[in-house]
This record gives sequence, C-alpha cells and structure tokens, in this order.
Amino acid sequence: MENENLKNWVNEFTNELYKWAYYKTSSTETSEDLVQETFLAAAQKMNSFKGDSSPKTWLFAILNHKIIDHYRKSVYKPVAMEANTISAFFDVDGSWQQEKRPKDWEDDETHLLDDTDFQKVLQKCLDALPKQWNMCVKLKYLTEKSGDEICQELGITPTNYWQIVHRAKLQLRNCVENNWFKN
Amino acid sequence: MHILFLSCLKATELIEKKFHFKLTIKEKLQLKMHKMMCEACTKYEKHSILIEKGISNIQKSETPSIDVEVLKTKISKKIEEFNEN
Repeated sequence: MENENLKNWVNEFTNELYKWAYYKTSSTETSEDLVQETFLAAAQKMNSFKGDSSPKTWLFAILNHKIIDHYRKSVYKPVAMEANTISAFFDVDGSWQQEKRPKDWEDDETHLLDDTDFQKVLQKCLDALPKQWNMCVKLKYLTEKSGDEICQELGITPTNYWQIVHRAKLQLRNCVENNWFKN
Repeated sequence: MHILFLSCLKATELIEKKFHFKLTIKEKLQLKMHKMMCEACTKYEKHSILIEKGISNIQKSETPSIDVEVLKTKISKKIEEFNEN
C-alpha cells in the first residue's frame, strides 16, 4: 500500500520538485539527482510519514534539505584561495596591474543586460570559474538569503565568503571585458 | 598610510563585501574617499553591479524542459530496486 502511494507521488510531484530544484541549483543534472534522492529518502522514511502534513509538503521538506546539503558540499570543501589570482590583478602595493585595470565599457551599460549575446558571454565566463567560486557568486540569487544566513548554512566565515566572491568577480569581470569588448 | 586611504585591492574587496554585508561607517568612508580619487575602481564597481544584475537575470530565466516521464520511470525503477533489497 505504502509503495503504491509513493509510486503515485512520483507521478504527481516529480515535475514540481524538479522545477523547484532547478530554480535553486540551475543545473538540470543536479536537479534530476536531487529529485531522485528525495524519493529514495522518502522510500526509506515512509514509515515515519504519519500524514500530519500533505505528501507534497513532506517531499518538498526532504528536497530542501537535499538542496542545502548540495550547497554545503559544493562550497564547504576548503576553497583554494590561490594567492596568484590576487597577484595577477594587483601589484605588491595593492594597485591595479596596468593591463588589468578596468576599462570603459559603454556609456549606457544597462542595455547590455537585454542583449542576449552579452548574456551568453556572461554565462560562458561564469562556467569558466572554478566550481566553488561559481557557486559562491550565484548563491545569493539561488537562495535569496542574506550573506550572514548563507555563511551560517554553509559553515563558512563571512570573511572567507566575500573573499571568494571578490576573487571570482575579479576573474568574471576581466573575462567579460576580454570576450565582449575586444570583438 | 593615512587611516582613510585604501589600496585598490582593499577597495575592490569592500565593493564586493558591500553586496553581501553591511559596511562599517569607517569602511564606507574609506571606499568613498578611494573612489573619488580612483577611476579604475569606480569603473570596477559599475561593472560589478552590472554583472550582479546579469547573474540575477540568468537565475530567473526559464527552467530548461526535460523529459519528466523519463525521470519518473527512472525514479520508479530505483524505488522498486530499493524495495527488493
């Protein structure tokens, strides 16, 4: 009987669970894995489901735990700070290296956001970042949480967090400038 | 170095910190002073804000459709395997 329930739920909720997982991770592969793990966890815990909440609420609660776990695994591994990222951009006094100084983009830069080619460049540059950096840069938008809350959930210090973001953004900005404005 | 003067390295760090955390009054002043004198960091901040908006837009864009039926079948199979063990 319980198994029948679960089978029906797979049918009924997979789509919604997948969409939520995608919204939170922006990866189809990760989302499929997370939804699958959610149902497997549900199969294991079926006995503890008392029907106090709706199956949908219960499944979403499991999925949300899985998502947080996923963030934690992606970020919590000690993140290589790579001192050479900083020295590539700044000299020993902390001044911009001549060739890395930000250049003028365009007078009106806001229209760039509507440009699909610009979006592609940005996406390409995001994908080129080390995985953990990429995650740190996106987390704010994926979780819609404050920096403090993100750090708490991931178990990293605020300083560690924004220093990763700083390095990631230096590379990202430079990559966008090189790929977009040199055409 | 004067307490209000920052290097470009520190200034860009504060620009990034500001997206996620509240700056102290001292940090706010330091950053303001620095940007008044430094064109490169002023540009950096403009670009960085634009990139933040761009990332936010990318996140909000459509979920790529997958074949949900295939996923359902895959999951159902896994559950059966689990139940047999």
